[in-house]
Amino acid sequence: MSQSTVLAIIILIVGLPIIMTPVIMYSCRASEKLRNILSVATSAVTFGLTLSLYPFVIGGGEIQYTLFEVLPNLEISLRLDILSFCLAVLASFVWFLCAVYSIDYMAREHACGRYYPVLIFTLGSCQGIFFAGDLFSLFVFFELMSLIAYILIIHEETEEALKAGYKYLVMTIIGGLALFFGMIIVFELGGTVSLGVGVIIEENSALAFIAFICFLIGFGMKAGMFPLHVWLPDAHPVAPSPASALLSGIMLKTGAYGLFRVIFYVFSPELIQSAGWDLVLSVLAVITILLGSAVALTQTDIKRRLAYSSISQLGYVLLGLSILNSNAVIGAVFHIFSHAFMKSVLFLAAGAIIWKTGKRLIDDMKGIGRQMPVTMGCFSIAALAMIGIPPLNGFLSKWTLAMGALDANMVIYVLVLLISSLLNALYYLPIIIPAFFELPGDSSHEPHHDHHELQFNIQDAAPAMLSVMVILALCTIVFGLTPNNIVFTLSRLTAQYLLGGAF
Amino acid sequence: MGLSDHYPALIVVIFFIAAFLSPLLYRWARRVSAALIISALIAALAMVIALMAEVQQTGVVYYHMGGWAPPWGIEFKADSLRLYILLVVISVSLWIFVFALRDLQHELKKRVIGWYYTLYALLVGSMSGIVLTNDLFNLFVLMEICAISACAIISIKEDRECLEASFKYLILSAMGTGCFLLGVVMLYMVTGYLNYGYLHVELAEAFNHYPRNIFTAAALFIVAFGTKAALFPLHVWLPDAHASAPSPSSAMLSGVVIKIYAFALFLMFYEVFPRVLLDSIPLNEIILWLAALGTLFGSIYAMLQSDLKKMLAFSSIGQIAYIFMGIGLHHDSALVGGFYHIMVHAVTKAMLFMAAGVIIYSTGVREIKDLAGVGRALPITMIAFTIGSASMVGIPGTGGLISKWYLAISALEIGRPVFVLVILASSLLNAVYYMPIVINAFMQQEDFKKEAKPVPRIMLACLVIGMLFIVVSGFYTTPVVTLLQESFSAYF
Repeated sequence: MSQSTVLAIIILIVGLPIIMTPVIMYSCRASEKLRNILSVATSAVTFGLTLSLYPFVIGGGEIQYTLFEVLPNLEISLRLDILSFCLAVLASFVWFLCAVYSIDYMAREHACGRYYPVLIFTLGSCQGIFFAGDLFSLFVFFELMSLIAYILIIHEETEEALKAGYKYLVMTIIGGLALFFGMIIVFELGGTVSLGVGVIIEENSALAFIAFICFLIGFGMKAGMFPLHVWLPDAHPVAPSPASALLSGIMLKTGAYGLFRVIFYVFSPELIQSAGWDLVLSVLAVITILLGSAVALTQTDIKRRLAYSSISQLGYVLLGLSILNSNAVIGAVFHIFSHAFMKSVLFLAAGAIIWKTGKRLIDDMKGIGRQMPVTMGCFSIAALAMIGIPPLNGFLSKWTLAMGALDANMVIYVLVLLISSLLNALYYLPIIIPAFFELPGDSSHEPHHDHHELQFNIQDAAPAMLSVMVILALCTIVFGLTPNNIVFTLSRLTAQYLLGGAF
Repeated sequence: MGLSDHYPALIVVIFFIAAFLSPLLYRWARRVSAALIISALIAALAMVIALMAEVQQTGVVYYHMGGWAPPWGIEFKADSLRLYILLVVISVSLWIFVFALRDLQHELKKRVIGWYYTLYALLVGSMSGIVLTNDLFNLFVLMEICAISACAIISIKEDRECLEASFKYLILSAMGTGCFLLGVVMLYMVTGYLNYGYLHVELAEAFNHYPRNIFTAAALFIVAFGTKAALFPLHVWLPDAHASAPSPSSAMLSGVVIKIYAFALFLMFYEVFPRVLLDSIPLNEIILWLAALGTLFGSIYAMLQSDLKKMLAFSSIGQIAYIFMGIGLHHDSALVGGFYHIMVHAVTKAMLFMAAGVIIYSTGVREIKDLAGVGRALPITMIAFTIGSASMVGIPGTGGLISKWYLAISALEIGRPVFVLVILASSLLNAVYYMPIVINAFMQQEDFKKEAKPVPRIMLACLVIGMLFIVVSGFYTTPVVTLLQESFSAYF
C-alpha cells in the first residue's frame, strides 16, 4: 500500500463516523430501521477500514503526516504506527459489536434519535485519539470524545444519572485543564508537541516533572487511576449497557493510550526510570488494583461491581507501564485487549439480564443461569478470565505481567497480582455460582425437594445480543489458548517497537 | 488628494453623518433609516479593508485633520494593529446591528427606535475614533461621546432598573474621564505635547526632571481606563449596566466597548509612556495581579447569579481580565493571546448575549433556574449558547483555547507559572457556571414550562454566523496570529 492510500484510509476512519453522525441523526425521520442499519454499517466499515491497515503496519510501516497548522508549530496531524493500529482495531471491533447489540437493547429505551448519532460520533473521535500525530490533536479528540460521551452517560436522564454525569463532566474538565497545562509545558520545553520526533523532553527538570504529573492527572483520570477514579463507578453503571461496555472496555483505554504516548514519545523510558517517576506510577497502580478489587467486593449492584472491577483492571495496565521492561509492556498492551473483551462481555451480559428481567441486584440473580444459560455462560467465561484461570486470556496477561515483574526483581508486584486475582475470584464467583446452582428466591432455611434438579426455563436474550456476547466470549478463549495468537503477537511487536524503535 | 487618502477620517465621520441623518429619515422612511446605518457600517468596513491593503504595501498611514500637521493638528494613525481592532469593532457592530433590527422592535418603544440607531452610530463612530486617533485630547473628546452614547443605549429602555444602572455607569465613567483629563493635563504640563509620538520622545527626556508628574499621570490613566474597561476592582458599574440594557446593547457593551478601553490603555503603555517609566515602577505587575484577581473573582461572582444576563455580565469581568493579563505580562506572545482574545471574546460574548436575547424574546425567561428544558424549545439558540460556553471555558476546537494557549505559553516563557494556574483555575470556574445551564437546557426530563414564540430567521442566522466563527477561529488562526506577531515585534 502506498503512503497516500494509507493516509486516505486513516482520514476516512476518523472522518466517516463523524460525517455519518448528522446523516444518522436525520435518517431517524425516515425510519428507525434505516438509522439502525446505518449505525451498524458505519461501525462495520470503520472496522473493516482499520483492519485493512494490517499488512501495512505489520510490514513495519509508519506514517506521520501534518494536515494543517493551527498555530506555528502546533498542528493537527495524523500518525499511524503499531500502537495506534492495535488500539484502533480493538476499538472499532468492540464498537461494531456494541452497535449490533444496541439494536435490540435500545429498542425499549427512549431518545434513540440521540443515542445512535452520539455512539457513532464517539467512535470517530476515539479513532481520532488513536491516530493523532501530536499531543494537540490528541487533546482535541480526547476532549471531544470525553464531552460527547457525557450524553451517553446521562442517557436515561434519571436524577442519579444526571448527578453522575455532572461529576464526570467536572472531572473531565479538570483532567482536560491538566492536560492543557502539561502540553504547554512540553511545548515550552521542547518547542513542539509532535509525536513524530521521538523524544521531546530529554532532561529532567522541575517543570518536566510537573508536566508528567499533569499528564498523569489528565490521562489517569480517564483511566480511573486512584485517586481520580471517583467519577467512574457512578458514571459507568448508569449508562445504557452497550454504552457501559464501551466506556469501560474502550474509552478507559484512551487514558492508558495517552500514558503510553507520554511515556514513550514525550519523555523516554530511560528518563522516567532515571528520574524515579515510575515509582509514582507504580504506587498509584498498586493502590488502584487493590482498592478497585476491594471496593468491588462490597457492591450489590452488578454494574457497579463491574465498574469497580474496571478500575482494578486498568491498574494492571498502569503497573505494566510503570515496570517498563519488555515483558511488562507486552503484558500491559495485551491486557488492554484482554480487558476490552472481558469487560464488554460482562457489561453486555449484565445488560442482557437487566433487559430481560429488570434485575440489577446481585442477590436477585439466583438461578438466572437456568433462565438465561447462554448469557450467563458468556458471563462466566469472562468472569473466569478476569480471575485468571488458565486457558483464558486474563491468565496470559497476568502471566506476562508477572514475568515482567520478576524480570525487574519486583516480587511484590507478583504478590499484588495474586491478591487481586484472589479478590477477583471473591467477587465474581458469588455471582456465577448462585446463578447456576441456586433457585430464584432460594433461601437456605427451607429445604427444597427438587434442590438438585436443574430446571431450565429458558428465556434468553435476543439472538443478535447473544451472538455478540458469544463472539466476545470466544475472543477471550481464542486469544488465551496459546501465546501464538495474533493479538499476543501484535502486543509483542508493539512492545518491541516501543522499547526498541523497530521490530 | 483623492478620496482614498481621507479614509482614516472618513471611517469616523461617516458614522457621525449617519447618526444625524438617521432620525430625520426615521420620521418619513423607517426602513431607509436602518439601511443607512447598515450601509455606513459596510462602507466603513470596506474602507478599513482598503486601508489594511494599503498599510500592507506602504506601511503605516498617518492622516492630518484639515491638513494641520502635528504637534498642533489632530493626527490619525492607521497601522495594522489598529486596523485589526477596527475590523473587529466594525464587523461585530454590523453583525449585532442586524440582530438588533428585529430584537429592538420587541424590547423598545416604537418612537425611540430611530434614536437608538443614532446612538448606535455615534457609539461605533466614537469607538473607531478612539482606535485611530493619535492625540490625547482628541481621545478625551471621543471617550466622552462614547461614554454618553453607551449610557444612552442602556437607559433608552426607560425602566427603573435601566435608568439606575445607566446613572451609575454615567457617574463612574465620568470619574474615569475626569481622571483621564487630569492625567492628560499632567503630561501636557511637562512636555507641551498631546500627540502620542511626540509625547513618547519627549517623556523619556522629561522623566528625568519630573518623574512625579508622570507617575501620577500613569496612575490616573490606569484608574481611568481600568474603570471604563471594568478592570477588577473598578468593575462595579458593569454588571448592572450590561444586564439591564436591551440585549443588542448588552452585546455591544460587553462585546466591544470595554475592549476599546483596554486597547487604549495598551496604547498608553506602549506608544505614549517611555519604556523607562514602566521599568522603574511595577505598573505591569499591578495590572497583572488585578487581572489575575479579576479572572477569578469575575467567575466567582458569576457563579452566584440567578439572572442569565447578569451572569454573562460578570463573566465579562473575568474575560476582560485576560486581555489585561496579556498587556501586563509584557511579552509578545502574551499580547498575541490578549489581542486574539479581543476578537474571540467580542464574538463569543456578543453571541451569548444574543442567545440570551433570543430566549427572552421567545419565552420571556431570564432566570437561570427556569431555563430547564429550553434546549428542546429553542435548539439552535441553545446550541449556539453551548458553543459559546465551550469557547469561554477554552475547550479545544474553539477560539477561546488559542488565546489561553498564548497567554499560558508566555507566562511560562517569562518564568511565571503561577499565572498558568490562574488561567486554568478560571477556565475551571467558567466551566462550573456555564455547564449547568447547558446541561439543564438539554437534559431535563420535564419539558419546558413556558410557551416559546417562533424566533425570526434573521436572529437565528446571526447566531449561526457566530457559532461558525468561533469554531473557525479555533482552527484557522494563521492570518490573525501572523498579523499580531508582526505588529507586536515592533514594540519589543
